[in-house]
Amino acid sequence: MISQELEYLAPVQLSEALAALDRYGDKAKLLAGGMSLMPMMNLALVEPEVIISLNHLAGLDQIQEDGAVYRLGAMVRHHQLAESEAIRRHFPLLADAAAGIGDVQVRHRGTLGGSIAHADPAADYLTVMVALGARFKVESAGGKRTIEAGDFFLDIMTTKLEASELLVEVEIPKLPAGARSAYLRLATVEGSFPLANAAAVQGGGSTRIAVGGVTPKPFLVSTTSANSPDGGLPDDVPQAVAAACRDIAGPDADYRRALAQVCVQRVVARLM
Amino acid sequence: MKRAVGVTVNGRAQDLSVDTRTLLVHMLREDLRLTSVHIGCTTGNCGACTVVLDGKTVKSCCVLAVDVAGSEVTTIEGLSTNPDELHPVQEAFIEKHGTQCGFCTPGMVLAAVSLLKSNPDPSEDEIRHGISGNLCRCTGYHNIVLSIEEAARRMRDDKPNAGSRRVASGSVPG
Repeated sequence: MISQELEYLAPVQLSEALAALDRYGDKAKLLAGGMSLMPMMNLALVEPEVIISLNHLAGLDQIQEDGAVYRLGAMVRHHQLAESEAIRRHFPLLADAAAGIGDVQVRHRGTLGGSIAHADPAADYLTVMVALGARFKVESAGGKRTIEAGDFFLDIMTTKLEASELLVEVEIPKLPAGARSAYLRLATVEGSFPLANAAAVQGGGSTRIAVGGVTPKPFLVSTTSANSPDGGLPDDVPQAVAAACRDIAGPDADYRRALAQVCVQRVVARLM
Repeated sequence: MKRAVGVTVNGRAQDLSVDTRTLLVHMLREDLRLTSVHIGCTTGNCGACTVVLDGKTVKSCCVLAVDVAGSEVTTIEGLSTNPDELHPVQEAFIEKHGTQCGFCTPGMVLAAVSLLKSNPDPSEDEIRHGISGNLCRCTGYHNIVLSIEEAARRMRDDKPNAGSRRVASGSVPG
């Protein structure tokens, strides 16, 4: 039950959505799949005056190959990514991450762009995007810009998006031939937000491992070192993870640091 | 503030005037009296409010009613066109005692129908994953899984007619 009066807008064209966002700014919330926003509104944790629904916008739900990159519309839903042959083939870690979000009904409704813009620190996509070196195409009534995934997330549920900006598209460079990738989530219950998660991409002479859930925003560890002779992690990886986790505070800080190391070990093991 | 919403529910076109704050679950229950759609948590966890929206199961507590304008919605009431005939999943839930207190049953049945549409011969594991968005507070999952296995058997045996005999026009997976 939502107690606050709501103005509801359902633009069909992107330009209409951007004009509405320009007009209402912080008073408005963009509604994509609503899998986080609707519960927050039902609990009165968020009380927007205006809802701008993106569910009637044309053209933002496409998965397209474009030369050296894939272009994913912000309104692509989790089940589309989980089921897409192209995504399974080119970015299996992204398909795996999508297939583990919430449950069937949540995956039917929730969107790629919504999850990224909401930026819950434990959300599955954040680490995947950082590991893949994705680029976010952002538009406002005043223009457009591109933000690297590694620069996009600033803090818990805080991103570089301005109040007038809309995440329109996610651009992911294709992986080099022979590259391997993996995704891993540690959660108390299937479908809940992970406590910690990690995404790894190995190819072109380097390994990139992004870790999420333990810090306010995902962090990236890169190495060009070879694996140890027993197939385990190169020494510089656990050291870099420990350094990135140094400032974790709170009663469960040691547990979170341990989770990060376990996630990294297991995700790298999945690359083998 | 009110807004006109044209939506097809259980095969019938509806023109409603709905407050913009109204959740889909409230519109279905209060405006259309489709009280099979239960309200458990309103936070997208329990799945008691599951309905089929444009062919996909969703949790109707996390959808704004005004946002489904132009869509097709199916509830348990629309699963069978003939009031004297039940969907094979409903029959199997009765036979295998998959109901218990009944609160989660409408959502469970729709989740099961959706699962069997994409996977007519699911393993026990696939069934449990397929209903992971629906909580049974009686923890009666064992009989629910048996019910879905039984329904899958019946629907496979019955395949030549299954699509046309009991299912509403085009809006129901199954």
